[in-house]
Amino acid sequence: MALQTLSPGAESTLVIAPMLIVLVAAVGTLLLGTRPRARAGVSLAGGAAYLVAVAAIDWYVVLAPDAPGAATYQVGGLPAPFGITLVADGLSAFMLTMVGVIGVASLVFSIRVLPELDRRSYYFPLFHFLALGVTGAFLTGDLFNLFVWFEVMLMVSYIFVAYYGGPQHTRAAFWYVALNLLASAVFLLGVGGIYATTGTLNMADLARRLAAPAAYGIDPGPVVGLLGLLLSVFAIKAGLVPFQFWIPTAYRAAPPPITALLAGATKKVGIYAIIRLSFTVFADAQIGVDLAIPAVGTILAGDSPLAFIGAVLFVMGTASILVGGLGAVGRDSLEGVLAYSSIGQVGFIAVPVAIAATTTVPDVRHIAIVAALVYALNHALAKGMLFLAVGAVRTATGTSRLADLGGLASRSPPLAGAFFIGSLALVGIPPLSGFFGKFLVFDAAAQAGSMSVLVLLLAGSLLTIAYVTRAWNRSFWGQRTPAVDDAVTDPVQVAVLLALAVTIVAVGIGFEPIYRFADAAATAALDTDGYIDAVDPNQTVSGADGGNVDAGAGAGEGGGGGETGMGTEPETEPGTGTINTSNGGDTP
Amino acid sequence: MTTVIMRTTARIVVPIVLIVAISLLIEGHNLPGGGFIAGVLTSTAFVIVYIAFGLDFLERGVLGRDVDPGKTPSRDRVVVAYRRLFTVGLAIAVVSGLVPLALDHPFLSQSYIVLEGVPLYHHLEIASALAFDLGVYCVVVGGLLTIISVVGAE
Repeated sequence: MALQTLSPGAESTLVIAPMLIVLVAAVGTLLLGTRPRARAGVSLAGGAAYLVAVAAIDWYVVLAPDAPGAATYQVGGLPAPFGITLVADGLSAFMLTMVGVIGVASLVFSIRVLPELDRRSYYFPLFHFLALGVTGAFLTGDLFNLFVWFEVMLMVSYIFVAYYGGPQHTRAAFWYVALNLLASAVFLLGVGGIYATTGTLNMADLARRLAAPAAYGIDPGPVVGLLGLLLSVFAIKAGLVPFQFWIPTAYRAAPPPITALLAGATKKVGIYAIIRLSFTVFADAQIGVDLAIPAVGTILAGDSPLAFIGAVLFVMGTASILVGGLGAVGRDSLEGVLAYSSIGQVGFIAVPVAIAATTTVPDVRHIAIVAALVYALNHALAKGMLFLAVGAVRTATGTSRLADLGGLASRSPPLAGAFFIGSLALVGIPPLSGFFGKFLVFDAAAQAGSMSVLVLLLAGSLLTIAYVTRAWNRSFWGQRTPAVDDAVTDPVQVAVLLALAVTIVAVGIGFEPIYRFADAAATAALDTDGYIDAVDPNQTVSGADGGNVDAGAGAGEGGGGGETGMGTEPETEPGTGTINTSNGGDTP
Repeated sequence: MTTVIMRTTARIVVPIVLIVAISLLIEGHNLPGGGFIAGVLTSTAFVIVYIAFGLDFLERGVLGRDVDPGKTPSRDRVVVAYRRLFTVGLAIAVVSGLVPLALDHPFLSQSYIVLEGVPLYHHLEIASALAFDLGVYCVVVGGLLTIISVVGAE
């Protein structure tokens, strides 16, 4: 039977727009070859267009008074749950905005930080492919597709970690590749297991089936373990303890603007995936299995796997705060301090997520997710900006070792000012963006009534103050070193830093709309039914009998030629723009 | 490896491999095959040539160019061509995905037409997916051969 593909509406096309923009920018810069100025121009145009597209999604899909709250896009016109669905809801839009801001800043920065030789290589195409992977991961509504975007992101980060090609870069890249290949294998194993258990990989369909396993004839027991596998993969991406060890070497090896993007954007992909899968997809799952550890007690009682996720995340998050904070105090270079600091800061994001998972009060869960998102935003802005500032320091002085720096504040007040604001945002001083992040995290912990969490968070904050003060004192105050005396800062780099600093201040002062946005994002993250309705995995399959599980199951996963209609019959009348699907349509 | 047996075998095998690769590419839209596997197979044919006749054979023997022995492998003219093939393939694949957008259909939508009364074939099916497959094919051939010839030279 011929199925007319729906012509996507304007809102729907908007969903795929950011992805297409970076894809075209990547190919465009690749085609331009060895013309650096044209490449830079296309890159900047792509970055600007990306921001416009993301802003349009923010407004028309999430924030406008009559906004639908979520929009979907079926790639290739193949209906869910068989085709690949892209979903832009509040959570995705929030994450995209974050990535857009820090991405464009580091793109502008890149144009100035890299010498001519670097720019002749594939820097800009790779930059856009990294952005493509991150964007795809935020937008996809399909678990296998999420794996694919993770791979896109990883392939590029491998190259960036090894970019300078020195011995320490190669060593960092080797560890990074080895760890992530293992992670990818585990991810694929988890995805395969979930498909074998539930018969679907479309996230909305998955949520629907897990909420009513009996109706679909599936036994969801193994899902808890598989979710644990996926969780560990996402924790590797986010750099949570005990998977934090790759971060310092990789962040030191990559070019500074890329480090800003790795800390600001790809880390958030791990956080996003944890939030999306835990709360949107698996929250309503009816597992029906009890899981108990003798010493600890019951960690999973009956229904939702959230309690289990919460317990694990809580341990990881608090350990990250301590390990990151303590590690950062003793580092001897600015990058080292910031890399350990970002381990600790991700802990601050993971703890509210854990609180949200363990609590049973809907309001507390909501405020905890808001706290995690606002904190993630602050971390993306502040840490991204600080890594860029380190890039600027390195351009100016040629070093980032604390021992060789000193007195930068008198040498370049604007650079010092930007670094100062970023540091204060990290600590959480009002009225900067970091204050609200910290405040909401503490608020969530207090509302959950957990004193021990509060004490831990407080200890983590004190450690933040300690290492930030130390880095500031050693490099920006004190005696000028010879390296600093000869320093010449790049005006464009400093301008980018100041723009980001202004953004941080603006986010703090005009926090009301940001809070509304984060609130909408948290609502979207927790609204499983809304997500299912938006994706509507019933487009072809009518009736909820298990017999439809296998129909056309391969159609969505094909990476290459698999996008054509399965089982097309040559004798059918040619019809431009129609997809012939002979399966799934023969309902009685 | 450049024994007489190897070279003789290569002469026979390489054309067969290439023809199989092209047939896999063309029928890939609704039968087993496709751009990726066709690209891998094509690269295999080139690898056989490299093994049997040496790395410079393509430039010196086939294209009749002089080869500068001291050159860096990544600036080799053949390698530059491979890299260009990669880029062009990527562009083809992206554009083939974008065309449906201009026709008001979703990204990567595919269709096909059946031509009747074509001489020799009589009945020929042309699928739009072939354009995407061709892009994938170019990316795979360009990418793999760049890696093989650069790493092989080192």
